Amino acid sequence: MSQLDILLILLRVAFGAFVPLCFIAVLVWLERRGAAFFQDRAGPNRCNVGGFRAAGLIQNLADAVKLIFKEDVIPGHSQHKFYFVLAPLIVFVCALVSFAVVPFADTLVLSGKGYIMQGIPMSLGILWFLAIAGFSVYGIILAGWSSHNKFGVLGGLRAAAQVISYEIPMGLALVSLLTVYGTIDLGQMAHFQGRLLFGFIPMWGVVLQPLGALIFIVAAFAETNRTPFDLAEGESELVAGFHVEYSSMKFALFFMGEYVAMFVSSALIVTLFFGSYQIPWLSTDTLLANAGAVTIALIIFIPLASAIFTGWMRKNNRSHYDRPKDPRIREANVYTIILWMMVALVEAVLIGYMLNASGGAAGRVLVVLLQIATFLVKTFMMCFVYVWVRWTLPRFRYDQLQKLGWKMLLPLALLNIFITSAVVVALS
Amino acid sequence: MSITTKVLERKGSSFLEKIFLFEIVRGMCVTFGHFWLNLLDNSKLYVRHYPEVKPEITPRWRGRHRLTTHEDGTVKCVACFMCQTNCPARCITIESGERWDGKSEKVPVSFNIDLLECIYCGYCVEACPMDAIRMDSGIFSVTSYDRASVFVGIDDLLATKGAFSEEEYKKGGA
Repeated sequence: MSQLDILLILLRVAFGAFVPLCFIAVLVWLERRGAAFFQDRAGPNRCNVGGFRAAGLIQNLADAVKLIFKEDVIPGHSQHKFYFVLAPLIVFVCALVSFAVVPFADTLVLSGKGYIMQGIPMSLGILWFLAIAGFSVYGIILAGWSSHNKFGVLGGLRAAAQVISYEIPMGLALVSLLTVYGTIDLGQMAHFQGRLLFGFIPMWGVVLQPLGALIFIVAAFAETNRTPFDLAEGESELVAGFHVEYSSMKFALFFMGEYVAMFVSSALIVTLFFGSYQIPWLSTDTLLANAGAVTIALIIFIPLASAIFTGWMRKNNRSHYDRPKDPRIREANVYTIILWMMVALVEAVLIGYMLNASGGAAGRVLVVLLQIATFLVKTFMMCFVYVWVRWTLPRFRYDQLQKLGWKMLLPLALLNIFITSAVVVALS
Repeated sequence: MSITTKVLERKGSSFLEKIFLFEIVRGMCVTFGHFWLNLLDNSKLYVRHYPEVKPEITPRWRGRHRLTTHEDGTVKCVACFMCQTNCPARCITIESGERWDGKSEKVPVSFNIDLLECIYCGYCVEACPMDAIRMDSGIFSVTSYDRASVFVGIDDLLATKGAFSEEEYKKGGA
């Protein structure tokens, strides 16, 4: 193994492990500020370090400090303390590990050797995700059961029934998708989606399998236990459901596990249906062939986007009441300076690339970075859809949930398999 | 007089509504509209920046109590115990003494209100025959780090000023 091999393995594993963890902070922030804006509120905007609030991100730090210093209660009446401690770990670790097979960029070819850009380079793909995601519900059931609390048990019970009902349509929606792609490897699926349908439509999963995409997305919402399928928590009925008895960092693990699961299932939805890391109309080969033009486009686009962002920030980041020497305007000034310094740095790197090293290995690295950015932006947008749905739809009643799963999604998924198979057989 | 009936249409039974999808999309458009407008311009949020921007209090608001005075600054209260007797929360404790300035026979020597007990029902104000106790101070936030400071005595009550003019207070229905 050369040094390059080791470096790239480290980078890939670090990406697979730390990006979901970083997204916890981003998603908690997105959830709280997003919820506030959906409801015409402001959201957490007071927490600051020396006057810098980072748009409310500092609130996450405060939350973390609070959760770490809270008393960690293990209920005395619980007979199964080991499982009680194990449960949040299962939820969190399962959510984190299932990201390992999601490719975040096309295979990077450096000095004649291909490096697959995913946490664990293996071809199990979607099966790995299904196995791990199915396992994570054990954490919820265990938590509910070992709490020895009626609300906890009810929450766990609901989670179990819900996962059984929704894994089936999810699996069946995937069957039709696999028929189309002809592979279970997520990397190959992503590659497949770089092509064009009829020469002008990106051949994304959602275009080929609209019904399958819908069923999968609904089932993925149920799988991550988020509104409108958050019956396992159901705070209006079950107090907090499976995590009533949990406090401190054990609760935080459940909380973070939920957001990691949300990130991972967004990443998977993007990978399966929304073209993964592919930029529409620009496949990896096109990008590599036109690396110079892409760089020029980036050199123009980045300052433009930053200018628009700066204008938006300066307009909104000010106090909405009389305040002598508004500290929020000072804050916005500092952010503007930092942003433009970063823009200058990126521009310098890009121009340096244009002058010295266009094409070759540097071009391939540039394309991989672009694809990672595309992947993260798409995943972020899918996560936003999760938040958006949560603050729009009320929770399903339990019988409605089962009815939707068994009487609507399951027959639709079966129908979808028949239609897809017929079309695939007819075309081949 | 005939009874007017209004027939309400029961929603949710048509096919389009039963498959949820279109209604969900419609609902999501509504929420996204709010999100987008607030994101573009957050100055129109329906929130008050509370500790800095105080809400407007109407004269009828039952805030923290105060004791009123005559025009020469002497206590109006005649220690008749009406408010203490009438108080459902039993938070008022009065001790009376003799009054020598000729305005009345009795005067409160001490007049204590336990604000932690008080339920802000305003019965003391209604019971008072002298208009001596009022709840028009406009103080709506009674918070403190210790119990002693929310156990107010006669000096505090007399020192608290009303937040409204006499006309406004009278118009408020007192």
